[in-house]
Amino acid sequence: MTEPLKKTPLFDWHKAHGANIVEFGDYLMPVWYASARNEHLQVVSQAGLFDTSHMATIRMFGKDAYDVLQWCFTRNLDSCVGKDNAPLADGKCVYGVFLDEHGNAIDDSLVYKIKDGEFMVEVNASMGGPVAKHLAEQAKGRDVTIIDLTDKLGKIDIQGPASIKIMAKILKNPEAVFEKLPYFSAKGHFDPASTLAGQVQLLDGTPILVSRSGYTGEVGFELFVERAQTVKLWETIMAAGEAFGLTACGLAARDSLRAGAVLPLSHQDIGHWTYIHHPWPFALPFTADGRGFTKAFLGSAALEKASDAPYTLTFVGNDLRKVDAHDARVYLDGKEIGTVLTCVTDMAIGRHEGRIYSIASPDKPAGLAIKGLSCGFIRVGSKLAPGTAVEIRDGKRAIQVVIETDVRPARTARKALKTFM
Amino acid sequence: MYPSDLKYTKNHEFIKPLGDGTAVVGITSYAQEALGDVVFVDLPEVGTKFDAGDEFGTVESVKTVSEIFMPSSGEVLAVNEDLEAHPEFVNEDAFGKGWMVKIKLAGALSGDLLDADAYTKLVSEESH
Repeated sequence: MTEPLKKTPLFDWHKAHGANIVEFGDYLMPVWYASARNEHLQVVSQAGLFDTSHMATIRMFGKDAYDVLQWCFTRNLDSCVGKDNAPLADGKCVYGVFLDEHGNAIDDSLVYKIKDGEFMVEVNASMGGPVAKHLAEQAKGRDVTIIDLTDKLGKIDIQGPASIKIMAKILKNPEAVFEKLPYFSAKGHFDPASTLAGQVQLLDGTPILVSRSGYTGEVGFELFVERAQTVKLWETIMAAGEAFGLTACGLAARDSLRAGAVLPLSHQDIGHWTYIHHPWPFALPFTADGRGFTKAFLGSAALEKASDAPYTLTFVGNDLRKVDAHDARVYLDGKEIGTVLTCVTDMAIGRHEGRIYSIASPDKPAGLAIKGLSCGFIRVGSKLAPGTAVEIRDGKRAIQVVIETDVRPARTARKALKTFM
Repeated sequence: MYPSDLKYTKNHEFIKPLGDGTAVVGITSYAQEALGDVVFVDLPEVGTKFDAGDEFGTVESVKTVSEIFMPSSGEVLAVNEDLEAHPEFVNEDAFGKGWMVKIKLAGALSGDLLDADAYTKLVSEESH
């Protein structure tokens, strides 16, 4: 028996505003409103708003919560923040992966330290239950309480350079909120009972948790709020954003923006294979020489032993044409060498004399017509050097693409917030 | 809602006979809506001959790459070269400036084509 598909609190808003709705996992989600292309470009140049309430939040309490995460999560929580490898302090979050004992990815996640003895784990749609169960199994006999908040919260992402000015219009004391809020940090709380709930509030006093993060490569915030407040928060932001070119964005733009930012989609670019050779080595706790890990963790023994693990590599095409990743293969000199994991078009980039430029590149040549480039990830048996040309082919067409280390230049995610005020 | 001087295919192409043995071919407004932003249109060479039902090109949208099929047999007289720079014309005006090829008809129109009423019915069934 199949369960009926779930809706986020914003489903009726999406329908009323002309969204094309698709099934995404267990959820009915907007894939685009008027134009996925414009939504993508708007996030790079101004700002976009995404309903991400299908994602799942897990809360962890207790004196052993830290130890359980340190065992289950791929980041070393003692040394994961910034260039100095500082410990995960209150109000910081970190990207990593939960692995099984075979070193395969269960899901990727942001882990937040709210304060001593309180953590928040953000995972993908429909993964709240499985990850909470996995953590509970690993936490047996320990002092940890794990609460899966799947479908109990609203989550909205605002992304793009205008996000800061828009948020400044809807927050109490925005200067204080933005002060010392670097990339991968958070303030406030969605839970009115939290002692942090006073830190970040809407003008009417509604508490929210603001996280300086996102899934587009552009500057912005992920906002967590009580489920009943989701529509109000969304409409408040949309109204405040009107003067700044804010547009509602669907999953298509989210997918093309994240691929351009070299971010994986869990269960597509990472999944049931050894999580060792991929474009995200920062998500593993490698020692400085890259030969070992700075801690033992669930799956680390399998990673250390892995001898024939596949390589996941980033590619960029020569024009905007793409292939259907679901049935596409990779060829080198006519020989099949692997599969395509993701292939989408980043509409904000183009090639000129071998270099990739974005519509946001300050040094882009005058008159360069940027029409988009296909990009994504392939999985092959052995390593290919950046610059290697391969062919990817589905049932309909073959396109030439190049192995790259980065995709969309001039991304804004890491820039100081004051740049945008 | 669908122009009555056009004929339609079940695959959502249209053909507009011009009365002089030629016709204009493209995809319907329903098709472009379902595809989303059209970002690239691959069209055949002038002079290529197609039978009714032959694939004559592809339309790439943000979502997918779709083949397009010739509604009626004929030879390509012209292709819409504006689509190279402006594929979005297909979204903006599928039956007008989003046209794809002009053909010289080989004989009568294919008997498999739908008129506007039949096509309207097909679309209303598909979208439910």
